[in-house]
Amino acid sequence: MRKPPPILKALGITAAIAAVIPLGYLLFRLGEGIDKALVELLRPRTLELLFNTTLLVVSVTLTALVIGFLQAWLTTRTNLGFGALFAVLATLPLAIPSYVMAFSFTATFPSISGFWPSWLVMSLATSPYVFLVVSAALVRTDTSSEEVARTLGLTKWQVLRRVTWPQVRPAATAASLLVALYTLSEFGAIAILRFDTFTRAIYNAYRLSFDRTAAAALAVVLVMITLLVIWFERRYRGDYLSVSAASQKRVRISLGKARPLAIVSLIALAILGAGVPLYSLVNWSIVGSSTADITQILEALWGSLSLAAMAGALITVFALAIALWVVRYKTKLGTFVELSVWANHALPAIVVALALIFVGANLVPWVYQTTALLLFAYLILFLPNALSTMATPIAQVPRSLEDVANSLGVKGNRSIFKVVLPIAAPGILAGAALVALTVLKELPATLLLRPTGTETLAVRLWSSTEELAFAQAAPYALLLVVLGGLPALALNRQARKALSEVRN
Amino acid sequence: MKRPLIASLALISALVMNGCSASAPNPNPSATDSVQQKDSLVLYSGRAEELIQPLIDMFEEETGITTEVRYAGSAELAAQILEEGQNSPADVFFSQDAGALGAISKAGLFAAVQDDLTSLVASDYVARDKTWVGVSGRVRTLVYNPTKVVNVPNTVFDLAKPEWKGRIAIAPTNASFQAFVTAMRIVSGDDATTQWLEAMKTNAIVYEKNGAILDAVEAGQVDAGLINHYYWFAKAKEVGVAKMASKLTAFEGNDLGNLVNVAGVGIVNDNTASRAFVKFLLSEKAQRYFVDVTAEYPLIAGIDVVEGITPLSELNIPDIDLSDLDTLDKTLELIRAAGLI
Repeated sequence: MRKPPPILKALGITAAIAAVIPLGYLLFRLGEGIDKALVELLRPRTLELLFNTTLLVVSVTLTALVIGFLQAWLTTRTNLGFGALFAVLATLPLAIPSYVMAFSFTATFPSISGFWPSWLVMSLATSPYVFLVVSAALVRTDTSSEEVARTLGLTKWQVLRRVTWPQVRPAATAASLLVALYTLSEFGAIAILRFDTFTRAIYNAYRLSFDRTAAAALAVVLVMITLLVIWFERRYRGDYLSVSAASQKRVRISLGKARPLAIVSLIALAILGAGVPLYSLVNWSIVGSSTADITQILEALWGSLSLAAMAGALITVFALAIALWVVRYKTKLGTFVELSVWANHALPAIVVALALIFVGANLVPWVYQTTALLLFAYLILFLPNALSTMATPIAQVPRSLEDVANSLGVKGNRSIFKVVLPIAAPGILAGAALVALTVLKELPATLLLRPTGTETLAVRLWSSTEELAFAQAAPYALLLVVLGGLPALALNRQARKALSEVRN
Repeated sequence: MKRPLIASLALISALVMNGCSASAPNPNPSATDSVQQKDSLVLYSGRAEELIQPLIDMFEEETGITTEVRYAGSAELAAQILEEGQNSPADVFFSQDAGALGAISKAGLFAAVQDDLTSLVASDYVARDKTWVGVSGRVRTLVYNPTKVVNVPNTVFDLAKPEWKGRIAIAPTNASFQAFVTAMRIVSGDDATTQWLEAMKTNAIVYEKNGAILDAVEAGQVDAGLINHYYWFAKAKEVGVAKMASKLTAFEGNDLGNLVNVAGVGIVNDNTASRAFVKFLLSEKAQRYFVDVTAEYPLIAGIDVVEGITPLSELNIPDIDLSDLDTLDKTLELIRAAGLI
């Protein structure tokens, strides 16, 4: 067994230390009033929150998994037709911040609230994560075993379940983890749709009663739920199957009579996930009289783009290091680092932001309210997003290729740079794009940690809606969607390109 | 390179010391002689940029004090100042509501505002320990759809009657609503408040914000709602008064439903710049600006309100001192127990 290069370890351990800061902060706040924290937790309400949170997380994760997987399978493996179009439609909700989506639903169907709309909006907002990861995995996996299974007399459904699913299971489970933790940490959409979860209770503890101990107590429970979710994911992920380098002609599965049904379902999903929000945004710009200032728009655009680019690059470096360390070297320390990075991924952004405010203002005032600290917050918040996307492509590079490279004179770990990274590059870029996209949409941490005067599209969108100036808000929201659509399209193109290369 | 290390060690120990004596006593308000000179100001504003920035431009022009403003929600900024503690870069915090000011005041992070400034504002709208002062006022009011509500309720307690089932909108997570519930607790007692809240659980449709309530009443989705008066005027400005489908009405007598709330300021770092800013906000010019732009109530004497608004002096407002509305924990508990949040 080779040893991981020191640089991987250094980056990984740095990320783990960063990840521990919010946890340390929470324990510090808990320590200030452990009795009060216990009183807060030992109320019937905690059980109610636990039930609501579990219900939402489980239902959203399963729904997103089913939607995302079917979208991926239908567009890459079957004779559905319009594959490219449906792939774009499937990724489009990714570009729409979930609070905008929730807002557009309440604007269009005003009487909705509670569990079902929260479930619907969160499922629509998160299924693209599953779609992207699973379609990438489907394109890369071997179809010959499916064909063998079919010739052996298995039905389409049996092939899907027994042959196709196990091949994409690790990718799909990793994406589901992301969905589950996203749902756990979501505040904006849940608050607009009024469903009581732990995250909403944490925000309310900060914002309504300014009770930091109560907030910390609830947040610690959230961390424990996260660890449980991660444990489940580890148990059911299964092993990554590496892909044989030789690819072969694919046969598209005929959907037969189910084809119209599939098309109608995908169109319905697109209408819900992208149609309703876009309709609502366009409506905003028509109804109102307020106008947005073009220099302010450009300023916000620049702020968003530069932050997303810097954060995307920074997080990619760290994610690559950890993914390589964990996937290709399988050491205990690496696994521990990965776990600590994931552990606080369900914490609401406000907790991470306040932890960094506390540390920043009091211990390192020279970085407080600078871009550096904001990027650091993004690293803590979104490193797992990058990890989940990059781990699969890195794992799928066959180890034998590295051995070949070594036998041809590439020394030791240099095969990582000569073989693994080039082959996994499309997946790595996809991860980087995904992170940039997520940073683009981020609001709470940006609002609290940004250097005074730095504007982003999300911040402007927030301040305009806060003033009820919806016409003014519309261009920011639309720009956010367009800008977010670009990485989403790039992700799609990659998948489709790979597919066409295989077929020709 | 050694200095940052020493500084951070000093800060750590300061932090630990501070943690031990949680709420340090406020600096003496009358100690005007030793105030720090400063020609720049850092303002944390929970009020919107569009509203505040023109005011800042006026202030900079008038005083030559360069001002840097950090905009976010009032509650988030309050949480931020609480975390920053003694090391907060903020000089002044301008909050959308008194509750956020009260939280910082309670943590002992505000210096007292000078008497010659607090005396400009009625004592109901100033913290009892003078740690914050109201700048502009807004009235709780009923917005209703005249085609659906023929007889407007006389008191906010009427809304608890069965005939209002499914017709009234409230925003229980909103600070103004909570201040109103606290006032109800003080005036009518916890039992009556609990009964009213429980009736709301049956009768009311819950929204996240005042603005959403107004939108719903405008769209005819709900018959009436409890909001702050200026939301209506902001909406009227955006879509045009002629297009407004809803109307505002006050409750009769000194009903709790007519509670006055304020947006106000507190001084985080006492220096000449922060004092100048508070003084500016309470000047005739700034007060008139709030009246004209947001249709809020001025809090100093001698300023007229905009057309279409009943002056504060002619309104039947309940006799409540906003400093008494600091028992939010109990209020939240009741609202929670009623199942509204």
